[in-house]
Amino acid sequence: MAQLDFYTLLPTVVLMAWASGLLIADLFIPRDRKAWTAGLAALGLALALGLTLAQIGRTGTGFAGMVTLDPFAVLANSLLLVSGLLAVGLSFGYLRRRDIDRGEYYSLTLFSVAGMMLMTQAADLIVVFLALEMFSLPLYVLAAFARPQPDSEEAGLKYFLLGAFSAGFLIYGIALVYGATQTTALAGVVTAVATGTASLPLLAAGAGLILVGLGFKVAAVPFHMWTPDVYQGAPTSVTAFMAAGAKIAGFAALMRVFVQAFPVLGEKLTPILWTLAALTMFLGNLVAIAQSNIKRMLAYSSIAHAGYILMALTAYANPQMRQMAVSAALFYLLAYALTNFGAWGVVAALEKQNGGGLELNDYAGLGRKSPALAAAMTIFMLSFTGVPPTLGLIGKIYLFRVTVEAGFIGLAVIGVLTSLVSAYYYLRVVVVMYMREGEPEASMDGWHKAVIALSAALTVLLSLAPAALFSLVSGATLLF
Amino acid sequence: MLEYIAIAVLFLIAVVLAALIVFLGEIFGPRHSTPRKAMPYESGMRPVGEGRRRMPVRFYLIAVLFILFDIEVIFFLPWAVTFRKLGLFGLVEMFIFILILLVGYVYAWKKGALEWE
Amino acid sequence: MEAALIWEWVIKSLILIFIVLTGFAYTTYLERKELARMQVRIGPNRAGPWGLLQPVADGIKLIFKEELTPAEADRTLFFLAPIITVIPALVLMAVIPWGDTATLGGREVTLYLADLNVGILYLAAISSIAVYGIVLAGWSSNNKYATLGGLRSSAQMISYELAMGLSFVVVILLADSMSLLEIVKAQAGLWFVFIQPVGALVLFITLLAEVNRAPFDMPEAEQELVAGYHTEYSGMKFALFFMAEYGKMIVVSAILATLFFGGYLGPGVDRLPWLGPLYLGLKIFVALFVMIWIRATFPRIRYDRLMAFGWKVLLPLALALVFITALGIMLEQMWLVTVLSLIAGAVAALMVNRALRRKEYAR
Repeated sequence: MAQLDFYTLLPTVVLMAWASGLLIADLFIPRDRKAWTAGLAALGLALALGLTLAQIGRTGTGFAGMVTLDPFAVLANSLLLVSGLLAVGLSFGYLRRRDIDRGEYYSLTLFSVAGMMLMTQAADLIVVFLALEMFSLPLYVLAAFARPQPDSEEAGLKYFLLGAFSAGFLIYGIALVYGATQTTALAGVVTAVATGTASLPLLAAGAGLILVGLGFKVAAVPFHMWTPDVYQGAPTSVTAFMAAGAKIAGFAALMRVFVQAFPVLGEKLTPILWTLAALTMFLGNLVAIAQSNIKRMLAYSSIAHAGYILMALTAYANPQMRQMAVSAALFYLLAYALTNFGAWGVVAALEKQNGGGLELNDYAGLGRKSPALAAAMTIFMLSFTGVPPTLGLIGKIYLFRVTVEAGFIGLAVIGVLTSLVSAYYYLRVVVVMYMREGEPEASMDGWHKAVIALSAALTVLLSLAPAALFSLVSGATLLF
Repeated sequence: MLEYIAIAVLFLIAVVLAALIVFLGEIFGPRHSTPRKAMPYESGMRPVGEGRRRMPVRFYLIAVLFILFDIEVIFFLPWAVTFRKLGLFGLVEMFIFILILLVGYVYAWKKGALEWE
Repeated sequence: MEAALIWEWVIKSLILIFIVLTGFAYTTYLERKELARMQVRIGPNRAGPWGLLQPVADGIKLIFKEELTPAEADRTLFFLAPIITVIPALVLMAVIPWGDTATLGGREVTLYLADLNVGILYLAAISSIAVYGIVLAGWSSNNKYATLGGLRSSAQMISYELAMGLSFVVVILLADSMSLLEIVKAQAGLWFVFIQPVGALVLFITLLAEVNRAPFDMPEAEQELVAGYHTEYSGMKFALFFMAEYGKMIVVSAILATLFFGGYLGPGVDRLPWLGPLYLGLKIFVALFVMIWIRATFPRIRYDRLMAFGWKVLLPLALALVFITALGIMLEQMWLVTVLSLIAGAVAALMVNRALRRKEYAR
């Protein structure tokens, strides 16, 4: 029995143990050999990825139903681990250049990934909270990692304070759900509702607060205020990881909790989700136009993308649409994560040692100076916009289809319109790169190049043969 | 439950006694406060600046570490009471728990959190 | 019945407080006499025969002393701090068993105020409250020496509290109970000090640090901090701090005796329960004597070494002792506990020795 318990969480547990060991091992690695730490971290992530892939096809619950293992969790975990690997690949050269190559970085990344993986498997609200703290706390430290630079410290503190605030919402929501149903288990909530012992208004209030708490993590409007400052202040490699990882984990938890525990609240929650999605897309895209700093622009763009994913979630309560909504969201998360790492990788490459080189104007002339990098950036911008031949387009089409089929045509229209708006600021980057004169300087090591190249290649190639991906995400069912 | 009432009785008497002792001094002691007498004592020098200043951050670090390890110790207490029933399982579980804490301990040590100066 | 019970509590409480108060007074006398003897002096010899009335004279003097409150002190906290410090010292006595049950005038009387089933937790909880009084006293005085003394003292107390808690765990493991009465009864065959001598030593050291006694009296290091946290205190408020310190000395002696030295146990205590208080009193006296002896013998430890000793030696050592004890209990080989813990203690002593010989310390 106990072995089975651990089997459901094996990759997470191994990763945690690896991170702890790495923390100690790093103490004995001299400052100029931090490549060892990075290599060991990547090895740990790869090991966990292998273990996760070995879990394909297995299902089950563990620790008295506190965690669950299903195809959804396996896919989300693999995505998280790949994100972790890409983040480590981006980080090493970047950290060295910024002179912040402290070994704790990798342990913290590993701890954070482990927390995110626990989040995707959480089948109990208490585990959701635990996992949220587990992946957030390392992220707070990572955001402030460029200490003693004031920007980074500000980012860390801001993220910490607002994160703690949002965790308060989450735990309060959990308390209300517990008050309404006398259980924190997701399956138990459904049972309590079915047997009629639950108090629905209280449950709705609890679900609303949980939505607020997780909304903070995925940066949905109006809980997005921290995002631009934190994304801008944090070291770029951290931002890349944060933008992809925290979103995947946050949405995974949102999907699991809402689809599994609160389908009965569909009527009450759908308008709220509708409004949130519309607001997020609208505000994220509009404010992004006004940004001249590339990190802030990408931060607002990440808010906007959270809106697109929320759009799919609006249909969560519809039993016919449920699985499609989850698949579409996962597909989009995958596309977003890949593009995201590439785009932030380019930003990291152009960032100067003193933290400059982040204005849009600094990208002028990149097309002539380093055509490959500019081409990659163009691909990422096109993918963010949703222009063929990129993965972003397929993801968006999938999302819109689900939204329309679920009957939210108005929302889909808003999505399309805001996508058109977003073309302006994404393509502006391309225009600046190719049509203006300038002397930008890109510096990156081999791993960094590999990450960008890989992201660019996958973004294009996967969009040419999306069928495999479709079958992958539609197989990623939530079991309950 | 009765034991706690007994302790409450002792506590009350202790509070009354302590207050009584303080008031004894207040009643019988002379009071001729002058500005010089009321100055903070600094070996006869005129004090410079506030008495309560910013404290070294070391103390804060020690306090944080204390919280971590004190919780560990508190966790030990119920374990110790039931240890004879838990047997080998209890020993191994506690060993794993301590192992995790030791990671933090070794880290703090190597990073110099336990050094003064 | 109810009324009788309440009167019993009140009387017992009064007796306990009386013990601590007279004990406090005569511990100061004992300290002065003993230190004088060890330093080839005579000590107090004017007030009463052999100076026995000296503590009384001191007390009366302090009542008529002027009470000063510094101009910018936080008056409320300044007033409360000595009270907060002294109460734990008095209240800690509640759970110490002075004997099992005795008959007094045909009535069954228990020779303890309360036998909590979580007695050790009570000790740990209450003894750490005293830190508040000390740090508040230092902070509220608006005096640099006092603030620093209070901070040092609290940092020291919490650092040593960890090892103290772990040596409590050793005792709980051996006795299989957290009730102090049960712990004493479990030592009827063999005192725990013979099973776990190093644990007793660790507890003794941490208790010394807990009451800020020499050689851990850093917070009151008069060469650097005047008088530490109670620099600004005078009159009866100062007396309360004094009372807390010496009262706690008595209490921790009682704790040490109860946890490792068989408490009230002694020859013939089964038949004559009234011997219990006598035996415990004797053990407390011996412990007090040793504490004062230590003050006369050892120089004060430098603060950085004091903290290093607590965190780097005592904490891992106490942790090792817990596991050694648990292992011995599981294998039911008590001699293993003794041998292994002695080895652990020797290793720790060697480490300290090596660290002290290192060059960087030779400043």
